[in-house]
Amino acid sequence: MSEVGKPHDRVDGRLKVTGTATYAAETPVANVAHAVIVSSAASHGTIKAVDTRAALAQPGVLAVLAVGAAPKLPDANKKNSPQDKILQLLQDDALHYPDQPVAVVVADTLERAQHAAMLVASQVTEEPVALEVPGGEAYKPEHAGPRGEPDTTRGDLAAGLAAAKFKVAATYRTPVHNHHPMELHATIAAWQGDKFLTVYDATQGIFNVRDRLATIFGLDKKNVRVIDKFVGGGFGSKGSPWSHVPLAAMAAKQVGRPVKLVVTRQQMCSLTGHRPVTVQELQLGCDEKGALTAIEHKVTSETCRFDEFVEPSAIQTRMIYSCPNVVTSHRLVKLDIATPTFTRAPGEATGTYALESAMDELAYAANIDPLAFRIKNYSTTDEQEKKPFSSKELMACYTKASEAFGWSKRKMAPRSQRDGNWLVGWGMATATYPARQMPASARVTIKADGTAVVQVGTQDLGTGTYTVMTQVAADELGIAFDRITFELGDTALPEAPLSAGSMTAATVGSAVKIACQKAKQELAMRGGKGEVTVEHHNEVSKDHDKFAMHSHGAVFVEVKVDEDLGLVRVSRVVGAYAGGQILNAKTARSQLLGGVVWSIGMALVEETVRDPKTGRVITRDLADYHVPVHADVPDIQIIMVDEKDPHVNEVGAKGLGEIGNTGASAAIASAVFHATGKRIRDLPIRLDKLLPDVHA
Amino acid sequence: MRRPRVLAFIDPWSPDPAELPAIQAHLRGLGAELGVVTKRGTWLVTPDDPPARLAEAPEADRSFEVADGATLVEALAAAGDAMRTPAPMTFTRREWALTSIAAGFSLALFGCKGKPHEDKPAPAPPPVVKAPMPPEYDIVLSVNGSDRKLKVEARVSLLDALRERLGLTGTKKGCDHGQCGACTVHFGERRIKSCMQLAVMSQGMKITTIEGLAQGDTLHPMQAAFVAHDGFQCGYCTPGQIMSAVAMLAEGHAKTDDEVREMMSGNLCRCGAYPNIIAAIQAARKGAA
Amino acid sequence: MEPFGYIAAADEKMAIDEAPRGTFIAGGTNMVDYMRLGVIKPTTLIDVSRLPLTNIEAAGDGVKIGALVRNSDLAYHPLIQQKYPVLAEALLSGASPQIRNMATTGGNILQRTRCPYFRDMHYAQCNKRQPGSGCAAIGGFNRSHAVLGGSPACIATNPSDMNVAMAALDATVHVHGPSGERDIAFVDFHTLPGDHPEVETVLQPGELITYVTLPAVTGKQHYLKVRDRASFAFALASAAVVLDVQGGTIHGARVALGGVGTKPWRAKEAEAALVGQAPSPAVFAKAADAALAGAKGQPTNAFKIELAKRTLVRALTEVSK
Repeated sequence: MSEVGKPHDRVDGRLKVTGTATYAAETPVANVAHAVIVSSAASHGTIKAVDTRAALAQPGVLAVLAVGAAPKLPDANKKNSPQDKILQLLQDDALHYPDQPVAVVVADTLERAQHAAMLVASQVTEEPVALEVPGGEAYKPEHAGPRGEPDTTRGDLAAGLAAAKFKVAATYRTPVHNHHPMELHATIAAWQGDKFLTVYDATQGIFNVRDRLATIFGLDKKNVRVIDKFVGGGFGSKGSPWSHVPLAAMAAKQVGRPVKLVVTRQQMCSLTGHRPVTVQELQLGCDEKGALTAIEHKVTSETCRFDEFVEPSAIQTRMIYSCPNVVTSHRLVKLDIATPTFTRAPGEATGTYALESAMDELAYAANIDPLAFRIKNYSTTDEQEKKPFSSKELMACYTKASEAFGWSKRKMAPRSQRDGNWLVGWGMATATYPARQMPASARVTIKADGTAVVQVGTQDLGTGTYTVMTQVAADELGIAFDRITFELGDTALPEAPLSAGSMTAATVGSAVKIACQKAKQELAMRGGKGEVTVEHHNEVSKDHDKFAMHSHGAVFVEVKVDEDLGLVRVSRVVGAYAGGQILNAKTARSQLLGGVVWSIGMALVEETVRDPKTGRVITRDLADYHVPVHADVPDIQIIMVDEKDPHVNEVGAKGLGEIGNTGASAAIASAVFHATGKRIRDLPIRLDKLLPDVHA
Repeated sequence: MRRPRVLAFIDPWSPDPAELPAIQAHLRGLGAELGVVTKRGTWLVTPDDPPARLAEAPEADRSFEVADGATLVEALAAAGDAMRTPAPMTFTRREWALTSIAAGFSLALFGCKGKPHEDKPAPAPPPVVKAPMPPEYDIVLSVNGSDRKLKVEARVSLLDALRERLGLTGTKKGCDHGQCGACTVHFGERRIKSCMQLAVMSQGMKITTIEGLAQGDTLHPMQAAFVAHDGFQCGYCTPGQIMSAVAMLAEGHAKTDDEVREMMSGNLCRCGAYPNIIAAIQAARKGAA
Repeated sequence: MEPFGYIAAADEKMAIDEAPRGTFIAGGTNMVDYMRLGVIKPTTLIDVSRLPLTNIEAAGDGVKIGALVRNSDLAYHPLIQQKYPVLAEALLSGASPQIRNMATTGGNILQRTRCPYFRDMHYAQCNKRQPGSGCAAIGGFNRSHAVLGGSPACIATNPSDMNVAMAALDATVHVHGPSGERDIAFVDFHTLPGDHPEVETVLQPGELITYVTLPAVTGKQHYLKVRDRASFAFALASAAVVLDVQGGTIHGARVALGGVGTKPWRAKEAEAALVGQAPSPAVFAKAADAALAGAKGQPTNAFKIELAKRTLVRALTEVSK
């Protein structure tokens, strides 16, 4: 029987529940010194001086590297790829954003380094800060993220709007989000002489880190080794190295000892990326029968002044529904902030909130059931790219989820259900996320004793890579699941891309599959005896040019809203998802659950707030930046819809890491509308936005 | 071009999985590879790979003989100490043997690190007055059934004592302010957040961490339930969730799913494994009942 | 954290004798938090956590609670569950089980504000940290701040849930200091910020809270907390109420509000509006208006005025069912 698809327990489960899984900062390193980043108190301007004397006077302090007195790194900001960030490595006196590193203190103990860091004082000539997207000068970026044109036009928008019987025009806003993986960003840097560097780093992409460090320190890539066996969550924030990574290596070089640098939770609000604010203007029109005649989706998001990141929120709008006249655009406003970056379902998380909310508004304008309205406008091809879908089981998602939820019993009118003080509302939305793949290599060794080792320099962020790759290998090799070891998280292994964009299952799974097939053939050629090792480099499926490839889903939500107090609780969620071949039913379900929980957070509680004068993050810790707690999350029913896709890649998997965080926040917002009659177009939906009158 | 390498002559010796993590920790600290020459063969030990048997004797920057009665780990540790601090003024005979080896060893290592970079800035002028040494306290912590002696400043948290000094990294740091629950341990019978607890105030109480929960190879029922119900993804909040859940069942104040959710709300999970965690806890409860 | 010395007090006398040298620490949940932020920098910590101030016992018609009783022990104690459910509810709505296992009664009384400008040492302006430096919260982001009892110098909220119940229950705080022992009425224990937000209580240097007493109270009790998350969050508004209704008339009322005041906010005006009336939505609304009559909102926290009223009305409605 096939191992792929089985709900195997995680192979690394035992390590994780016994506390023996070793995360980057936990790597045993004798004589390790502790480094702490000194963050700027001032927000923006020119650093005039950094006074390190008091810090240097502290016992145990080994070095203080500060702006103006730090080792010079000529290639500090040479990017290896567009996704690399402009870093702040104490090289110049420009202060771009609050909390920017102005020094690094290294001491023999963590406590001494932390204390000395508090004694470093910097003098800054301050300049005023611009912090708000509205009113800022917007410009058109070259690309809407790594995948797409910033602007598209299909058909004639004005004609489509003119032809519409029903129209909706609304502006939606999403705030800054911080990723806040539970594992703090952390780097241990250990030099071996001048030319060799080993780094234990909390990262979603060990090879990205290797390449950047090689560039910055002028090292041969082969001599930089990056290791990360367990990643305590990333969600985009660990996708490319931030300033602390080279700073740790710089500090280690300076003190001639390995250095451990752990970014604090407070610093993670500014130093390791965030999801930018988006302001999204939508115009939708449909005819009498509910057929869409026009969609306009204009996105403006924030970026920093010294680097660029686009939240591509309108990408899904180009293909998700059938509509002849569609215009989308992305604009950026430069602010005096730290650099935004990819955050779980970048683009789609914020974009589906706006688009699917507008779809709900139009369904109400046309008095059509929101589900029926989606079905009416079902797209059978990608009308923007003019390509067929490689597979699309969205209709089955709608059917299965709505039946499990009991959607047919829904009354259209808002405020039609009640449970004591609680108004009850139901909402739904479509979920979608692209199915991507990148090249990757895998090495397979079949040993004489009938066991096998499969190696890929990929990562397991908690997605289940260790487990699902073992399952893929078991099927291809015909070797029992428990006789295969899968190794990852080391640049000494064959190269694979970063773990992001829901593409690891497809990318690494395909490489593993073909490598295993080759290894089996090789063994057969040798008469089935002895040990063979085969390495295979896998390219992206050629069908990516011919087909549009996306995962899809439908999510249905029940909320309860306290009529007097404005409290909102999600009481029920049913989501059905089609993501191609499921490699492990248990871990796949977990990823989808997690995505939905993120949507609950995004819809109801999450917001990074900046001080209006200084731009310093106010919500600096996990007491002030609310992520959902146990009590916020009801039981969530996940339905996995069968989907066979012969085109998407060798394993037929589309990826499920992010789609859970699409659509669901709109479903919640629509459910709040259904409960209260009040439409909140500005996330998160906190009680102060529903007060003083929970009525519309 | 190769990494700095030292050679040790010791006999008998062969790679021992129990000893290897400590050797590799020291090699990471020293920034070197280690060649071990024994009468029966030669090994190359690097910080992050399995030991390899060499056909030929390796080249070395420095070689030394591990003194009688010392282990390789002790010799490497002494070398690290010598790198870190000036040689002590008084010696026992054995210390002398180890330290003299180590001193030479460290010099060799520094030597192969090469000259300082020319672009390295001039070191800051030494401060006139060095701040006083903070007082340190000799304490004994009872962790997972064994007494662990430590010398710590009063500002060291129980969490940092566990993670940075006792090598018990199963207890996680997620916020350092009592806001995430990743550092949950049992303090006596109670679940507490070890980041908010000073080590000096933790004496005389039985402390249990995630490493002390399983009975040998047999997982605690809560640990087994977390595996079976996939009550985690990245695993970083997991030790805290499990320690919290075990204590919660003992407290006896939460039975229904909603009550459990409330009483587990001090433990954040960013991956969003909450529904599976609740399922695991309720399964463990039934298993225990 | 600044380096500091550590003394474990063997008994109460030693604690008081050592007091001039340092700062008391018990549960540590607040102290360690603020020391790590750099907000407080004691030179010596005097550990009082092992002192035998951990009893909960009947005292006359009321109850006497040792200052070192942990929040969880207090909340689940039969005397408290039976006679002071409002206190149990308040305690169990605060923080998380782990924190409640650490935090003590005395420490909770002295809990510092959560004002983000107070907590972030990078702000030069904070009259509480640095008297005379100004207040960054006024004109800043002040969604969590107080609408009652603020001054031009400070609008920081007292964040404790327990304190709200203690205020409603007319607790008395017993302290022991260099000049002997004394009792302080709970409602007088915390001070308004006025021109001196750096002063938060009437506690004198070297005084140690030793126990708290609660008088007997009559009537139905309830603590209602409204917050952004379903759990593990500070109150946006909360209400502790005790309502004694006899023969359809309110004979006695105790009302205190949390999350909205610069100190635990006893609302005597609301009580006056309730006593002698028959319970009704209109009477409750009038009481709520009276409680918030002096409220002053900031741009980002003005919603709390209406929220606090509704919270109080809901709490009163619950106890009059």
